[in-house]
Amino acid sequence: MRRLIVVVAVVAVLTGLFLYGLFRGPPNRDVPSNLIGKSAPQFTLPLYERFQSEYGTNFSLDAHKGTPMVINFWASWCTPCFDEAPLLERYYRQYRHKGVLFVGVQTQDRGKYDAGRQFIDRFGYTFPVGMDNDSSIGVEYALFGVPETYFVDRAGTVVYKQIGPVTPAVMDRELGAILR
Amino acid sequence: MKRAASPAARSRRSLLVAALTTAALLLAGGSLAQPAPAAPTAPSAPTAPSAPTAPSAPAAPSAPTAPAAPSGSAGTASTPAQAGGGSDVEISDRAYAIARELRCPVCTAESVADSSAEIAGEMRRLIQQQLDAGKSKEQILRYFRRRYGDWILLDPPKTGLHLVVWLLPLLALLGGAAALVLLVRRWRAAAESVPDAPDEDLQRVRAALDARKDDT
Repeated sequence: MRRLIVVVAVVAVLTGLFLYGLFRGPPNRDVPSNLIGKSAPQFTLPLYERFQSEYGTNFSLDAHKGTPMVINFWASWCTPCFDEAPLLERYYRQYRHKGVLFVGVQTQDRGKYDAGRQFIDRFGYTFPVGMDNDSSIGVEYALFGVPETYFVDRAGTVVYKQIGPVTPAVMDRELGAILR
Repeated sequence: MKRAASPAARSRRSLLVAALTTAALLLAGGSLAQPAPAAPTAPSAPTAPSAPTAPSAPAAPSAPTAPAAPSGSAGTASTPAQAGGGSDVEISDRAYAIARELRCPVCTAESVADSSAEIAGEMRRLIQQQLDAGKSKEQILRYFRRRYGDWILLDPPKTGLHLVVWLLPLLALLGGAAALVLLVRRWRAAAESVPDAPDEDLQRVRAALDARKDDT
C-alpha cells in the first residue's frame, strides 16, 4: 500500500510539472530593470530637423541636469507605439509648464528616417525626438522591446520603467513621482 | 483477496519509480536552467505596421546626423550574420562566438547570434565594434551584463545561486544511477533467494511428490 502511495505521488508530481509547463502561458515579461534607482545613462541623440532650432542638432541628457524627464523609446514599425503616441503628446503639453521634459528616442529602426518623420508629423510631437540609429542608446538602457518609457527625477535617477504602452494611470502616478 | 506482489513485480515498480523520479529531477533541472523569465514586451515582429499616413514632411534641411556605422568584419575569418532588419553585417568568428553567449532581448530562447531581430543585429554590430576597439570577450560580456543583468547570458554564470542550475542535473543523474544500482542488487538478491512458503504448502507439495514416486 505504501508503495502504491509513493507511485501515485510521483505520478501526480510529474503530471503537475507537465501541466504547469503546458499551461503556464507566455513567460512573465515583467523583468525588473537594472536601472531603477540608478542614474539615467548619459546619451547624445541626433534630433530630427524640426526640433533642432529649439534643442540643437543633438540632444544631450547631461545638458538637462536637474530636469525631470520622460524618455520614450519607440519604433516606426511598432503598433503599440502608435497607440500610446497621442497620450504622450497630450501629457507633454499638460506637464511641460511644470518643468517636465519628454524626449522621444526612435530605436531598433535603422535608417528609417522617413518613417520617423511621418510618425512625428502624424502625432504632432512637440517634444524633442531623435534617431538612435545603431540602437546603442537602447542597449545602454537595456531595452527589451518597444515601446518602453523611463521616468527620471530631478536628481537624474531612473524611478520607473514602463514596459509596453503608457496609460493615463501610469503617466499620472509617475509624473507625480518625478515632480516630487 | 489481497495478494502480495512478487519480488520481481515489486522491483519493476521500484525501477519505474526511480526512473520517473530521475526524469522529474532532470525536468526540474532543465526548467531551472532557464533562469529569469524571458524578456518583457518583445516587440511585435518587425514587419511594418500600417504605414502612418504622412502629412507633408516638414521642411527638412538635413537628416539627423546618424552615428557612424561600425566597421564590418575585422577578424581573420568572417561569418555573415543572419540578415535581419538592418542587421546584414558581417562579423568575425570571435564576435559570432560572443553573440552566441548572449540572449536576444526580444526573442524567446534565441541567441543574439542566431536571431534576425533588429536589436540582435545591432548588438552584433556593437560586439564587433568593441572587438575592433580592442576589448576582450570578458569586457564585452561585462558590458552587456551591467545593463541587462545576468539575464542576458544564455548560460547562467557558474557562481553563487546559479550553481544550482548546473549541479542539479548532475545530481539527478547520479541519484538515478545510484537508485538503479541499488535496485539491480535487490533484484538479484530476490532472484537468488528461496521463496518463503508456509509449512502447510510445503507438506502438501512433498506429499504430492511422494505420491508420484509411489505411482511410478
